[in-house]
Amino acid sequence: MLEKMAEETISIPNGFVQNPVGGSNPSVAKKKRNLPGTPDPEAEVIALSPKTLMATNRFLCEICGKGFQRDQNLQLHRRGHNLPWKLKQRTSKEARKRVYVCPEKTCVHHHPSRALGDLTGIKKHFCRKHGEKKWKCEKCSKRYAVQSDWKAHSKTCGTKEYKCDCGTIFSRRDSFITHRAFCDALAEETARVTAASNMNNLAHSGLNYHLMGTPLGPTMAQHFSSIFKPISSSDEILDQTRRGLSRWMGQGSQAHETIGNTLQEIHQLGSVNSVPLYEGPLVSCSNPPPSDYQLNWVFGDKLSSANVEALSSTSLLLSDVKEAGTPLVSVPSLYSSQHYHQATSASMSATALLQKAAQIGVTSTDSSFLGSLGLKCSNNQVQDGDKYCGLYGSNSNTIGNALGSDVENSGSDITTLNQLQMYPAKHRHLQSDDSSGGQTRDFLGVGVQAISCHPSSFNGWI
Amino acid sequence: MDISLFTNPKEPQFSYTFFCPNNNGDHVALDMHSKNNQQLPQHSHTSTSRSSAESAGGVAAEHTADPYGDAAGDKWASNLLKECARAISDKDSSKIHHLLWMLNELASPYGDCNQKLASYFLQALFCKATESGQRCYKTLTAVTEKNHSFDSARKLILQFQEVSPWTTFGHVASNGAILEALEGETKLHIIDISNTLCTQWPTLLEALATRNDETPHLKLTVVVTETLVRSVMKEIGQRMAKFARLMGVPFEFNAISGLNHIAELTKETLGVKDDEAVAVNCIGAMRRVAIDERELVIQMFHSLGPKIVTIVEEEADFTSSKYDFVWCFEECLRFYTLYFEMLQESFPMTSNERLTLERECSRNIVRVLACEEDENYEEECERRERGRQWSEKFMANNFSPSGFSDDVVDDVKALLKRYKAGWALVTLPQQQGADNNSTNNDNHHENAGIYLTWKEEPVVWASAWKP
Repeated sequence: MLEKMAEETISIPNGFVQNPVGGSNPSVAKKKRNLPGTPDPEAEVIALSPKTLMATNRFLCEICGKGFQRDQNLQLHRRGHNLPWKLKQRTSKEARKRVYVCPEKTCVHHHPSRALGDLTGIKKHFCRKHGEKKWKCEKCSKRYAVQSDWKAHSKTCGTKEYKCDCGTIFSRRDSFITHRAFCDALAEETARVTAASNMNNLAHSGLNYHLMGTPLGPTMAQHFSSIFKPISSSDEILDQTRRGLSRWMGQGSQAHETIGNTLQEIHQLGSVNSVPLYEGPLVSCSNPPPSDYQLNWVFGDKLSSANVEALSSTSLLLSDVKEAGTPLVSVPSLYSSQHYHQATSASMSATALLQKAAQIGVTSTDSSFLGSLGLKCSNNQVQDGDKYCGLYGSNSNTIGNALGSDVENSGSDITTLNQLQMYPAKHRHLQSDDSSGGQTRDFLGVGVQAISCHPSSFNGWI
Repeated sequence: MDISLFTNPKEPQFSYTFFCPNNNGDHVALDMHSKNNQQLPQHSHTSTSRSSAESAGGVAAEHTADPYGDAAGDKWASNLLKECARAISDKDSSKIHHLLWMLNELASPYGDCNQKLASYFLQALFCKATESGQRCYKTLTAVTEKNHSFDSARKLILQFQEVSPWTTFGHVASNGAILEALEGETKLHIIDISNTLCTQWPTLLEALATRNDETPHLKLTVVVTETLVRSVMKEIGQRMAKFARLMGVPFEFNAISGLNHIAELTKETLGVKDDEAVAVNCIGAMRRVAIDERELVIQMFHSLGPKIVTIVEEEADFTSSKYDFVWCFEECLRFYTLYFEMLQESFPMTSNERLTLERECSRNIVRVLACEEDENYEEECERRERGRQWSEKFMANNFSPSGFSDDVVDDVKALLKRYKAGWALVTLPQQQGADNNSTNNDNHHENAGIYLTWKEEPVVWASAWKP
């Protein structure tokens, strides 16, 4: 059968032996499925134009000219023509495995090294990412570009159930969200940072922080970076033009004298009733927190602006609730140099991110942990003096030192962290309760333990 | 007439039979006729009773007799009430007495719709006839405040939103309009003038967190205009802040309360900063503004420099008829009949939440019909106006309607599908109301809001405005 459409074929230089190609040999061993976008080096790369890709009948029968969407269907059809044996065989050319690249230039899969092995797959990919969403769900008005996606969604739409921590089950997502916001189960979760002891431990433990969030999907990375942008200078901090961090950093005038005080005052509960949340010490937590609280906070520091540019986001330091009486923090999911470079690519999918996050365990017994978000800063940058990696800049790689050295220096710049920012677990958090066995995890991996041990904890905390 | 006659209404002469499940799930026939009902309103449906010989499946209220002998038997309450209103307006004393007595015989706050309407409107009529409206209103308010708490308020509003789109319609439409208008902005400031206990915002927070690549900072300033709501705002603010943290949205919350003159708000008092993108969200609060201050309020909105102003109001007109008692009464009756019927059909039979909502209505009915408006009495008025009337005011004060996009309309329709049948979204075509304006507003009316209809009657109006 001939493919009459125009194609370019690029051969990938031969690397090494690969799995036998399916082709005409029916008894081939079952092929191992590669990760998406990591094709066989020896496969033939085909780049189709969008028009060709979306054409529905690529495979034409040479006898009657009938078009088919799939090669298999064409083969079945050809049998009906009672061809002499010779013509039945596929040409050797077809035996070669083919992989396809996405015609969209800005797409990750445009490059041959990330080609997809399945024609249907590349078609769907192209539609989903770059196509118009023509199919719409009646129930929830969600839109899809690929009809099969839409069908699959319609089957499950409205059937999914959401379970709140308090035990109530909802069939409607919006009522689940609204309920959750007011649910008492939420109210009990608070995280505290206890200042001085945490700081001391950090300083002395010489912990290594490796970058937790390297495998951030593009949106997540951006999200993080938007929330946790490092602050270049006190002025910027005060400026409050930065989202997220500005919350933490701003109002230098309200910074406390010592970090110790500051940290103690960091508190989740904002004060309300016409007191802006960022001012001064906060309403103290009403309940003693359970032991598995995790807390995010970001230290502000005055950094030289040059250094700051290198950083796209700040890492978050999570420390554990002091009341639990456990020793300090924990450093899981940290910040390590080897991950810096990876952070820049931000090309990992959300799934990979979660997998990675799951590996980052919680080191302390009460599952507190540190998380850091996609940092771009590289090793050497950390070493520079006022380098800010979401923590106090330091002269060493370790945050511990960083914290230690700067505690004295920049106490005045630390503003009260009035609220803790949670990583937006978003859907994952909301739905984490209904996935048995925790298929979805918050990406800090906290959820892994937290879900099982402490169902009421915030899964999204970084 | 002795007022005590009305605080303990006698039981109606007919037996009304209700079938409701008791704790074991069995269906038990309860007779509303029982005298136990009076003392224990909460337990009216579980009092002991004779079981009726009739047993019909499901829940049904059945008249066994109708002494008024009206051809439209279903509307006996409406007819009686209107007659009485006319009598009061005409100051026909003997007729007033007669009708009040009759209504009293038939009315019950625990009966079917007719009986409930009869009961609550009777209260208002009585107050009007005896000029005791203010006192009655204060008493009713005091009673409610006594039982009011964060938990009860939360339970009430969440349950209501669960069974009826009456409020969520406005929330979804407004959130959609706000999100679209503030798309791409990094610092959002929403001024929420409403008494919804912030139930509108969790879904917006979730949308902010998930829809955008870069989550903006949200500052929420709530202006509370209802006394009952004021007391729980602190708790609500805390919950909102926690939830925002959960969602990962940088969030700031302020509650401003005690201002009954919202026309006097300014950028400073609201904490509006110049670098913020402002949205004003006003749900069910415009009607609580004194009538002659309404345009001032709209001008105040304008002065805040918002990107969008979302208004949601119930579709009824108690304002034009301010000086005509009978007209006002009839409009009130029409609207609340719809509302009560909607409540009846949406909530389960024995629902304390519904009872609370009905009582809230009774306060409002007394307020509208029996309380004289005077400047000294600063409590909230409840003079509703129709969407068209609000539209005219907005357009006269430098606002132009911003229609709801197709996406938002789709979202609202999808929302309605999640509820029981009977609800629909309607966009009215060009209205004749434009003929009063010399400017060419014909096109605008087409987009001046969407209506929620219940059994084809428009009940709630939602709109969005741009300065």
